[in-house]
Amino acid sequence: MSSKVSVSPTSLIDQIVVPGDVVLDLSNMTNQTIKLGSGLRQDSDAISAMRAGKFSYSKPNKYWVESSHKRYIPRTEDHVLGIVVDYKADNFWVDIKGPQIALLPGLAFEGATRRSIPKFEVGTLLYLRVVKTNIGMNPELSGTDASGKASVFGPLKDGFMFETSTGLSRMLLSSPTCPVLEALGKKLSFEIATGLNGRVWVNAAAPRSVIIVANAIMNSETLSAAQQRIMVEKLLAKISD
Amino acid sequence: MEIDREDGRTPNQLRPLACSRNILHRPHGSASWSQGDTKVLAAVYGPKPGTRKNENPEKACFEVIWKPKSGQIGKAEKEFEMILKKTIQSICVLTVNPNTTTSVIIQVVHDDGSLLPCAINAACAALVDAGIPMKHLAVAICCCLADSGYVVLDPNKLEEKKMTAFAYLVFPNTTLSVLPEVEGEPVEHGIITSVTHGVMSVDDYFLCVENGRAATASLSAFFRKNFQQSQGASSKAG
Repeated sequence: MSSKVSVSPTSLIDQIVVPGDVVLDLSNMTNQTIKLGSGLRQDSDAISAMRAGKFSYSKPNKYWVESSHKRYIPRTEDHVLGIVVDYKADNFWVDIKGPQIALLPGLAFEGATRRSIPKFEVGTLLYLRVVKTNIGMNPELSGTDASGKASVFGPLKDGFMFETSTGLSRMLLSSPTCPVLEALGKKLSFEIATGLNGRVWVNAAAPRSVIIVANAIMNSETLSAAQQRIMVEKLLAKISD
Repeated sequence: MEIDREDGRTPNQLRPLACSRNILHRPHGSASWSQGDTKVLAAVYGPKPGTRKNENPEKACFEVIWKPKSGQIGKAEKEFEMILKKTIQSICVLTVNPNTTTSVIIQVVHDDGSLLPCAINAACAALVDAGIPMKHLAVAICCCLADSGYVVLDPNKLEEKKMTAFAYLVFPNTTLSVLPEVEGEPVEHGIITSVTHGVMSVDDYFLCVENGRAATASLSAFFRKNFQQSQGASSKAG
C-alpha cells in the first residue's frame, strides 16, 4: 500500500505536520530533558501532533507546532489584551478570546489595596499577563509583572483595537522587529500593544496614522518580508501626496 | 470484468476533490469540501465555555448542527448529526479543554451522492482549521455494492439509487512517523465509523472495507497537501 512510502522519515523538524503525525520518538532520546510546546501530546514513548502546522525546534530542547488560529488558548506568562466584561466584588471578568472568561483580581495591580481597588468600566481594554491556567478553572490574569511592578501593564486609553489571528500577533512580537512595523516606524510615530491572543491596539497623534498602521498590519498576514516593505511604502507614498 | 459507470469512472476512481479552508469570516474555523458535484460547507465555533445538559463536563463536548440545502431537517439529517458527532468525538482529544462545547455547523451546498462522507471530511478540515486538538484526522468514503456484486467507490446520486447496498466508512488518516516500523497492523487500518444501508453479505462488506481503505491513502495525501499549501503561504510571512 502507498502508506509504506511515507512512513519513517528521519526527522520532521521544519516540516508541515497534520494531527496524528508522530514527530518524536522518546525511546532513542534518553538522558535528555525536552520541553513540549503547544500542539503536541505524549503517548508513552511517542510524541505526536494535535494540530496542523510547522513542527519547530529551538535549541536546546524546545519543540512545538507553529500554527495560526482565530481562537486563543491561554498559557501562563503570555501577554494578552483583555476586555472587561463584568465586575463582581473585587474581581473583574475579562474576555481574552479563550475558551473560558478570565479572572482578574482587583488586587493584582501595583499599589492596589483593599481600599483602593482600580475601577474599570465594562468595555475597558487592558494589557495583562496570564498567571494561572489550570485545567478546569478560569484562567487568572494580573496587571503587574512577576516582581509586582506595573511596568507595561494596565488600561489602554484611546487608540484603536482590532483582532487578528494568533499567528499574526506572534509575528508582530517576534524579534528582530517584523518588517511591517519596522517600515512603518521609519515614517510614522505610533504606539502599539500586541497581545498573544490576537488583539492589537494602535494609538497615534493623528487618527489617519492609526488607520494606516492598522490596515498595514491587517494586510501583512500572508505577505513575505519584502512584500510587506513594498506594501507599506506604497501606502505611505499614497498619503504623502 | 468491467462495470460501467454513468460518468465513465473506473469502480475505484474518486470524483475530483476540492477543499478550501478559512473561507468564512466569523467562525473560528471553516472549510468547504467538494467531491464532484457534492459540496458541503463546515464551520466550527469554539471551544465555548460550559457543556450542555446530559454531557460529561469533565470532557470537551461537541455539537453538530446539520443545515440541509432546503427545507426542514428530518430523521435522516438527525441521524447524520449523530453519526458525525460520534465520529468527531472519537478523533478529537477531549481532555485538553474540559467543560467546553465546540459547535460544528454543516451546510449542504449541493447533494450529488456520498453526502455524509463529504460532510465528515469537511468537518474534519474545519476542525483542523480551528485548531481543535485532534488525535488524528478522519477520512471518509462511501462504498456501494452493485447488483452484480461489484464494489464502487464514491457514487453519485444516480448510482446511489441503483445500488443494492452501500456503506459509509471512516478511517484514520495515513500518518507520518519517526518511529521505527512496528510489526502488526498500522494505525490507518483501524476503522472509526461504519454505517451500512441495505443488505450485504459479510464477504461483500469486507470487500467494501478493503477497497475503501485503499482509497483513503489518496484522500489522506490530499488532506496533507492541502495543509502544506496553506501553511506554506502563511509561514512565508513569519
